[in-house]
Amino acid sequence: MSKLVSPDGGTVPQEPSPTEETKSIDSGAPRPKRWGMLVDQRRCIGCHSCTVACKSENNVPLGYWRSWIKGLQKGVFPHVGTFFLRRLCNHCDVPPCVQVCPVQATVRREEDGVVVMYYGKCIGCGMCIAACPYDARFFNPIRRTADKCDFCVARIDQGLEPACVSACLTGALVFGDIDDPSSEISKKMASVGTEVIKPELGTKPKVFYIQADRDLMGRIKFSNDFNDEIMEYHKHIPSPDASYWKKGR
Amino acid sequence: MEATVLYNVPHEVPWKVYIPLYFYFTGLSAGSFILSTLSTVFGIKRFKPMALPAAIISFLLLLLAPACLILDLQQPTRFWHTLVPEYFNRMSALSFGSWLLTAYPIANLIYIYYIFVKNDRVTRILGMITVPLAIFVHAYTGFAFALVRARAWWHSALMPGYFLTSALLSGIALLMVVALLVDKYRKEKLDPELFTSLRLMMVGILLVDLFWMGSFWLTLMVSTADGYASIWYALHEKLYVYGEIVAGMLVPLVLLVFPATRSSRMWLYVASLLIIGGVFLMRYSVVFIGYDIPLS
Repeated sequence: MSKLVSPDGGTVPQEPSPTEETKSIDSGAPRPKRWGMLVDQRRCIGCHSCTVACKSENNVPLGYWRSWIKGLQKGVFPHVGTFFLRRLCNHCDVPPCVQVCPVQATVRREEDGVVVMYYGKCIGCGMCIAACPYDARFFNPIRRTADKCDFCVARIDQGLEPACVSACLTGALVFGDIDDPSSEISKKMASVGTEVIKPELGTKPKVFYIQADRDLMGRIKFSNDFNDEIMEYHKHIPSPDASYWKKGR
Repeated sequence: MEATVLYNVPHEVPWKVYIPLYFYFTGLSAGSFILSTLSTVFGIKRFKPMALPAAIISFLLLLLAPACLILDLQQPTRFWHTLVPEYFNRMSALSFGSWLLTAYPIANLIYIYYIFVKNDRVTRILGMITVPLAIFVHAYTGFAFALVRARAWWHSALMPGYFLTSALLSGIALLMVVALLVDKYRKEKLDPELFTSLRLMMVGILLVDLFWMGSFWLTLMVSTADGYASIWYALHEKLYVYGEIVAGMLVPLVLLVFPATRSSRMWLYVASLLIIGGVFLMRYSVVFIGYDIPLS
């Protein structure tokens, strides 16, 4: 952990007492966890290790991504910058996808707040894909149901970290229980300013960002040529086959 | 500032053209059903000859509508999951919708039977029960959109009302075509007053639809960046401007109001067919312009 982020000496030694209290409650009934992820964009170098780890761990079909990195270049030489934003399911506390599902195929697990899919129930109506404000959902063409990031639910149930967190080279991804004040993520979040994507929608996401760029978080890219920007959006899709994402029509 | 997106992952549109078709068929069905109940429930004698054909059209369209929905599913064989009480999601408009879509055709069929045997009293009671079903079966689709907060183009309180009035509009236009055909090929002629009242209803509802549309434009233009982007997008979409608004609403309105064309049967045909097409384009643009604004 960097010196910038966490004044370890000051805060950590004072905290064991509340932790012990929570542990004593634990012995009665398990305290519900709230898994969350902190993405430190200051540390992210845009290496796509998380994307690759996610695809191999979850067997995501070719051409589809459960989590990905969005990249942006800004400025005119010599004042330029490259910015990244790690995108994944935000595991909202008020998830719009769970609200619209007609068969309860996607639910927010009460015990840890992770939004999971029950693939056997899913009828593939696509309403959750339409309702997700983060575009985190897609139809898995092999399974033929909706699919999304689930914090590698099989791994976290075994006490492991999600695959992307294990794969991150620079420690930009921190995963943990945001309700537990002694967890690494809580300590880091207490000591540095964080933000979430689209807070105005009231979805209460549990994926937090440090220093994420405004242009990357928005729905559309904000600039002076706002109107042209909207009209030219399709040119910004950096796929070799830019029309593939409209296959639905 | 100069900015270029290096890479991003947009996900493809999950719906096919079946979804706007489904809205269109339920809309037509609800519209013609309500027209059928005008004489049986609300006692407007002039519409009496339309009661049975309208109800039968409404039932036939109801057979097509769920078929479209099931065809659009990625797992069509699992459609019955929506009717398992244990899976019912009381937050989801689609959950309510699938039950309504099951109950409404059954009620509709019983209603048709009683019109057919000319039992006016039972027809009236059944009509009174089925009218709210017909309204809700179409309004729920409006709610399914209005409750999606992610997309500014859909997230509007006007949406259910807009869906209902355009459903009524397309239903009346379809019935107008049917009435004109019936009048042409049958021995006993229909009351000419019927066409006048159908025409006046179409004009009234067209004006209400134009009012909804104006409200949409104004609120979206001073809305969030997303809302502004969607209306900007829509106004550059030729299908929306020339197809839906000009050909689907303004031209029929002129044809139905202008004295030289409103008395001619041929122009009534044209106006009704234009309205039927325009309402389909309205469904299409509501669904797919919503997806044109990227979220990632």
